[in-house]
Amino acid sequence: MKQDERLEIFEKLRAEYSVFLLSVLWKLTGDRELFTEAMQYTLMGMWQHIEKLNSKKAGAYIYRIALSANSRAWRNRIGRNGQFARDRVDIDADPGEKLGRVELTAKVRKAISQLPDKQGRAIVMRYLQQHDYETISEKLRCSKASARSHVSKALAALKEKLATVA
Amino acid sequence: MNNENIEEILKDIGKEEIPADVHKIAQETSNNFSSSLKQVKQPKRIILLEQIMRSKMTKIAAAAVIFIAVLAGWPLLDKRGVALADVLAKIEQARVYMYRMKMTSTGNLIKGMPSEQEITVTVSNEYGTKWDTDITNPDNGETINQQTYVMPDSKIVISLMPKSKQYMRMELDDDWLARMKKQNNDPREMVKQIIKCEYTELGKSVIDGIEVEGFQTTDPACFGATAEEGTFTLWVDVQTWLPVRSETDFKMGEQASVHGVTYDYQWDIPIEASEFEPVIPEDFTAFVADGMKMPGMSEQAAIDGLRLFAEMSGRYPEKLSLVELAQEIAALSQDMENMKFLTDKLLKLKEELSQTQMSEEEIRRAVMKKSMEIMQPIQSPGWFHMMLVQDKKEPVYYGETVGPEDADSVLLRWKVSDNEYRVVFGDLSVGDFTAEELAKLEQQ
Repeated sequence: MKQDERLEIFEKLRAEYSVFLLSVLWKLTGDRELFTEAMQYTLMGMWQHIEKLNSKKAGAYIYRIALSANSRAWRNRIGRNGQFARDRVDIDADPGEKLGRVELTAKVRKAISQLPDKQGRAIVMRYLQQHDYETISEKLRCSKASARSHVSKALAALKEKLATVA
Repeated sequence: MNNENIEEILKDIGKEEIPADVHKIAQETSNNFSSSLKQVKQPKRIILLEQIMRSKMTKIAAAAVIFIAVLAGWPLLDKRGVALADVLAKIEQARVYMYRMKMTSTGNLIKGMPSEQEITVTVSNEYGTKWDTDITNPDNGETINQQTYVMPDSKIVISLMPKSKQYMRMELDDDWLARMKKQNNDPREMVKQIIKCEYTELGKSVIDGIEVEGFQTTDPACFGATAEEGTFTLWVDVQTWLPVRSETDFKMGEQASVHGVTYDYQWDIPIEASEFEPVIPEDFTAFVADGMKMPGMSEQAAIDGLRLFAEMSGRYPEKLSLVELAQEIAALSQDMENMKFLTDKLLKLKEELSQTQMSEEEIRRAVMKKSMEIMQPIQSPGWFHMMLVQDKKEPVYYGETVGPEDADSVLLRWKVSDNEYRVVFGDLSVGDFTAEELAKLEQQ
């Protein structure tokens, strides 16, 4: 594929998925540095796989690239004192309680980044994007029952992961 | 935390408003990336590299890959120097040589990697290679000695650890033997690298009373990816045209760096065959990994490794470069859920062995060895990939987008001849295809 053609496809996809990427990556990271990094990885992934994205399956691939980018950004965070963003704590609330909630939320986000691919997508679609099961089953190309099962398994996996870090 | 709490948190995340400044960050990040694609008609790899290097978080991984690449004698551009080609020819004539090497790393490049090592290397084309290594423990400053013998005739590596009075023997298959032979010829590989890159002549200087001429490269092509991050300098004796000293530096932001120096070269020194034959003292005991084979480098070994990785995590590694794979494995191992299959197997083994006459220590060693045996194949995809790259087979890997459920998608492919490619699919089945067939497969 020629460079011009690659660029054209990339720009089209970049415009088409900008709102999606902003929303999903922010909700998955909740931290500006992580978000920027995940966004860079996603764009890189899209560019690297641009030929593959020139198909009907582009949406599914971009979903996967974004989730993979998010996991990678979180993995890079390991070892950096495990500090979570605290700039979003509501100062009007009880400081101790609010801080606990923010850290807990960050742990949930980190745990999502470690879920297997399909479970990760299912949980993001169900809760972060607030899709119904019919939409999830269409996007995951499975039955509604399977979609429910993916979400349920993902919740169980999250629970187990969070139990080990508690 | 119960499911209700988690669901509540997830729902809250779903309802969150995106701050205005994050919209701006997203726009800028996206626009910057797009602009860099259009600015210059550079090769794709370099553009991507620049994007990677803009993120300080990714510098470690990128530079670490180069570090390994340099050590491994990565295949580079084929552009020959003049004087350095003569140096290479001169080194090739040496049958035996010795040099010292000191490596210092700061930061946490790879967990467990020692911060300081001093190695005396003796290479004989006829008998093999001997490494005498002093490893300094960064926590207490204590130095531990280890002697390693690579014996090509018997296809074995033997390590002696005098402090703990232990030894370890590892079998080498033909692939490993070929690689180790190549990589142990360090001065040759060093010169081969530099003459294939853009390098500058530093002019003359004096090192240890020897008049030398310097050559230096920071060429991103030479280091495979890190334009500003790597520097390699070689000092050559102007009289003999043999290396006197080399220095390698990789800086990875403020987080990690590696500094390597080779020096004290001695050429065509007299040696005895017995110097390359280790004697294991009677009071030494076998290290727990004794008798294990090196990780396989074959296609099948790589597939087995990918299968193991998928069994543990439900996905394939995103990258196969050695350092990035090592980092992924390290991250994977930190999650006990991923390790569950391993602990289950080991607990079962321990239970079985407890029924025998084995002592607790024997059981402990048997369990440790078993865990190493189970986990060992996970490294093989990285070694296999490295071999493909070194052999210029143009491997392309899609671990970021292809998972075990993508049975018919191309996961890894490489060139086997001018118009033929070998393909490993998402379900780990394998096939050979023409370029045209491959193009169709990759469009799917």
